[in-house]
Amino acid sequence: MILNPSQKRGLVGAAILAAVLITIGLVVTYFGSRYQLRLVYSAYVNLLVVLAMQVFMGNARLTNLSHSAFMGIGAYVAAICVTPVTVKSISLPDAPWGLNAFSLDPVSSALLAIAITAVLALIVGLFVVRLTGSGVTIFSLAVLVIVHSVFLYRTDIFKGNQAFFGIPQVFSLTSIVILSVFVVFIVRLFRESRWGIQLRACADDEVGAAAMGVNIRRLRLIAWVLSAILLAVAGIAYAYFLGTISARPFYFNHVFLTLAMLILGGMRTVTGAVLGTLLISFGLECVRWLETGPVLLGIDLPEVLGLSGIALGTVIVLTMALRPGGIMGDQEIEDLVLKKQE
Amino acid sequence: MLELNGITKTFGGIHAVEDVTMSVAPGEVRGLIGPNGAGKTTLVNLISGLLTHSAGSLLLDSEPLDHLRAHERAARGVARTFQNLRVFPSLSVAQNIDVARYSGRGAEIVEAAIPEFGLSDKLNQNAGSLAYGQLRRLEIVRALALNPRVLMLDEPAAGMNEQETEALGRSLTWVRTHSDSAILVIDHDLKFIMSLCDKITVLNMGAIIAEGAPEEITKNQEVIDAYLGETDERAA
Repeated sequence: MILNPSQKRGLVGAAILAAVLITIGLVVTYFGSRYQLRLVYSAYVNLLVVLAMQVFMGNARLTNLSHSAFMGIGAYVAAICVTPVTVKSISLPDAPWGLNAFSLDPVSSALLAIAITAVLALIVGLFVVRLTGSGVTIFSLAVLVIVHSVFLYRTDIFKGNQAFFGIPQVFSLTSIVILSVFVVFIVRLFRESRWGIQLRACADDEVGAAAMGVNIRRLRLIAWVLSAILLAVAGIAYAYFLGTISARPFYFNHVFLTLAMLILGGMRTVTGAVLGTLLISFGLECVRWLETGPVLLGIDLPEVLGLSGIALGTVIVLTMALRPGGIMGDQEIEDLVLKKQE
Repeated sequence: MLELNGITKTFGGIHAVEDVTMSVAPGEVRGLIGPNGAGKTTLVNLISGLLTHSAGSLLLDSEPLDHLRAHERAARGVARTFQNLRVFPSLSVAQNIDVARYSGRGAEIVEAAIPEFGLSDKLNQNAGSLAYGQLRRLEIVRALALNPRVLMLDEPAAGMNEQETEALGRSLTWVRTHSDSAILVIDHDLKFIMSLCDKITVLNMGAIIAEGAPEEITKNQEVIDAYLGETDERAA
């Protein structure tokens, strides 16, 4: 594969981000408590989600709110496939189509989950690419609600809000650090690829891009499906570590959380996606601690329930009002470290 | 060879372009002039596929273009610039050119065109940071990256001062010697058009009223009545 100059420069940026992610992973592996390890793991799952969102939202600059649904599809398909028959006969006694009568190894389950998510995303995407602006936002919101309703009410397959348990623990923190580094490189190379550059051209000026030979719908479809594939990967990583899943984590709260991460860091860049995820993951832990009413510097703070929701909303409001491009705007990390392109 | 046969475009009963038949040969520079609202830009939009014609047919080297969408026409070498600039401000100058290069038929001319149009030291700058004249030149270079068989320039000299216009004229002369593309130029600067073009087509109210060499056009009474007289008054 021959890389273009933007991609070569992008590799530098991706390598810097990878070094940060690996460092955090190493520190937590060797010095963190079990609780901190779980926290960082879930932050890395969210990072995978936000990177996947960046592929579509950052390059096509259209708002997708159905990302948690595609993550959920990946998680459930992998979970249903990988969970042993003995467990499923208890947890899913009424499952149709023999879903409780087979089980696959983790790799096959993951591949199947990715394939099914990709096919569903392709079907949905054929409609998405016909829409523009707010049409995409509303459409994707409806997709989220449909998928959630299926998870919630087809209890014979998905168990709804009850825990789908018994998923073998396949992943460790090390696995997800490696995975996230891999995804950072994929997302960054996509952004600087022919497709990424042409997509950003469409976002700047649709008419101008069409006149320069850009097939806008085709490119948006490619980005949409790639985004969904990476979301499925995030869902699989979630299921393969926690061992249990339910419908709730793939719904609105998660959509909102990851959206805040992407908006704070800046959706146009991969650096923004990583920065926003790290800042909000860390910030939210501090807020959750404050929420419980701790003693700080000898002062007994009151318990403030709902503070984390307020904080997340405030982050979005302030970012949109004061810095709509997010912290990074159009800058990738290498733009700050290397000399500005000469 | 670009051929238009009876191209007509109506907007709710109004004929914006009416029964236009013309052809532009490879290597030819054709001027398209006429008063405001004559349908010049509409004609360029119809050829590039941003609008679809109501009647008539369009051929490029005997292949019909009629059912192709704008991006498909561009990929076959129908290139254009815009009266109101349409560069991609968040991309670098090099990436702006790449957008066209990726979808075109491969173009060696663009490598030579970059220095010719004075963009060599701007390649890594964001296009959004360029000055107006540079943006106009970038649009032309970007269109050349499609390796055009037809290059349509919609008011390339608009907003430029006399020196810039002269430099642009020299660069366009360079393009015609380095490319066998048919070139269609719309402009209101008659001196610029007359010095650049082999042949001029005059549009008024959507229809062709005259076609010929520059010196014939300047003597054509209908053209003087519809357009040249008006510009002369404005200039006076």
